[in-house]
Amino acid sequence: MELRFFEIYRSPEYLGIIFDGALTSLGLTIASGVLGFLLAFVLAAVRFWQVPLLNYISAAYIDFIRNTPLIVQLFFIAFGLPLLFGYVWPFWCHALLALTINFSGYFAEILRSGFASTQKGQLEAAAALNLSNKTIFNSIIIPQTLIKMFPSLSSQFIFLFLTTGVISEIGVEDLTHAGLYIDSRTFRSFEVFITLTALYVAFALMLKGILQFIFAKTLGRRVA
Amino acid sequence: MPKGAKNIIVKMEKVNKWFDDFQALCDVDLTIFEGERIVVCGPSGSGKSTLIRCLNGLEAHQSGDISVHGTELRGDAQSVRQVRDNVGMVFQQFNLFPHLTVLENCTLAPINNGKMDAQAAYDKAMTYLKRVQIPEQADKLPGQLSGGQQQRVAIARALCMEPKLMLFDEPTSALDPEMIKEVLDTMVSLAEDGMSMICVTHELNFAKRVAHRIIFMDKGRIVEDQPPADFFKKPKSPRAKLFLEQILSH
Ligand SMILES: Nc1ncnc2c1ncn2[C@@H]1O[C@H](COP(=O)(O)OP(=O)(O)OP(=O)(O)O)[C@@H](O)[C@H]1O
Ligand SMILES: [Mg+2]
Repeated sequence: MELRFFEIYRSPEYLGIIFDGALTSLGLTIASGVLGFLLAFVLAAVRFWQVPLLNYISAAYIDFIRNTPLIVQLFFIAFGLPLLFGYVWPFWCHALLALTINFSGYFAEILRSGFASTQKGQLEAAAALNLSNKTIFNSIIIPQTLIKMFPSLSSQFIFLFLTTGVISEIGVEDLTHAGLYIDSRTFRSFEVFITLTALYVAFALMLKGILQFIFAKTLGRRVA
Repeated sequence: MPKGAKNIIVKMEKVNKWFDDFQALCDVDLTIFEGERIVVCGPSGSGKSTLIRCLNGLEAHQSGDISVHGTELRGDAQSVRQVRDNVGMVFQQFNLFPHLTVLENCTLAPINNGKMDAQAAYDKAMTYLKRVQIPEQADKLPGQLSGGQQQRVAIARALCMEPKLMLFDEPTSALDPEMIKEVLDTMVSLAEDGMSMICVTHELNFAKRVAHRIIFMDKGRIVEDQPPADFFKKPKSPRAKLFLEQILSH
């Protein structure tokens, strides 16, 4: 077989599609990563403080998200809910909502286990110093959890980024969608998907680098 | 008893404490006056830690009365808070907050408990860090210090709350031998300043030097309560005799 990468690379149209697709994938991943993380924080905090009722709702939510396929969640949110409630959103909004919900379940589980694994000695010292529950949570449990769980949170985020390709199934023109489109026009499957693979790897490494940079400049300074 | 002392700082009457159906404290009666220094010793599992942890509400007792600096511990959050305001505690494993600098470890409680503003807390922390002779480590993280230094920071952290009573639970047991002295020296200097303290330790020389009374526990009971000279020379109970023989034999 003859490799003909130039069939893709010399076409400004295809390059533009890939570029736009990459921006969409990265933008949606980062936005849902941030929103999902904030939601996860609330979910995990509710469980940690055993807030009546919300505690159980949060636990059920986390279990439900982590035990159903992303694509099913996506279809439910993109096709099921709008039918049920009669609203019309652009595709990317469905994707943002679905990814946020999906990410939040995974992040919440990591944060929850981090909160729960705070060392007993730390809590006893804090209690002996008469720190309020709020101070103990904000100044001891949260920072220690973020430090301890950073590697898990980071690799979970990268993994979730790599699963975002399924949003092309509901018509979002992301990076995977760009590949599928160019493939259908050129039949250069090998070249197209090699290109896609390289881009996903590059972006995954880039996201990981950014997270590590942010960590090193903030909580990373607090690790002896 | 130290000269002129008459205020009672700790009073325990008929205190009983169970962990499920295991009784960890049995009918403990104990009165400690302000300025007194008590060393608690006894075999492993005899209830030494439980005793002092009951004094700041880290463990709740099930019957009997405990009052500390005039506040009775009734098991409600308010009395526990009030007591902890007056009691500092130092743990075997230091329990410093690893993500906070030495200085932040010392200022966290005073600032967040509304005791003082940031500047006053900083000044206080530096005063006590000088006291324990590590002001130059103020901006380091605990993990960058030796065990002996960490324990001295833990002492400074507790002192920043201006406690009336200090509790020590085997403060030197987790230290390498060459670091034990620096921590004991810090405690001796605290003793010389008249701090009331209860110290669980097996450092018998320290006990001889600073303790007014030695309390020996066995199976949840206080079986001896004597000045060190008497305790070491003529322990009353066979259990204490055996304990001293074992400890002095190495
Ligand atoms: N949280 C707990 N749950 C159940 N049992 C406990 C608990 N804490 C202590 N105990 C038991 O209570 C008894 C007294 O424990 P404590 O820690 O007070 O002993 P100690 O005299 O301090 O011993 P050591 O010298 O080993 O520190 C022990 O038998 C211990 O197993
Ligand atoms: Mg103990």
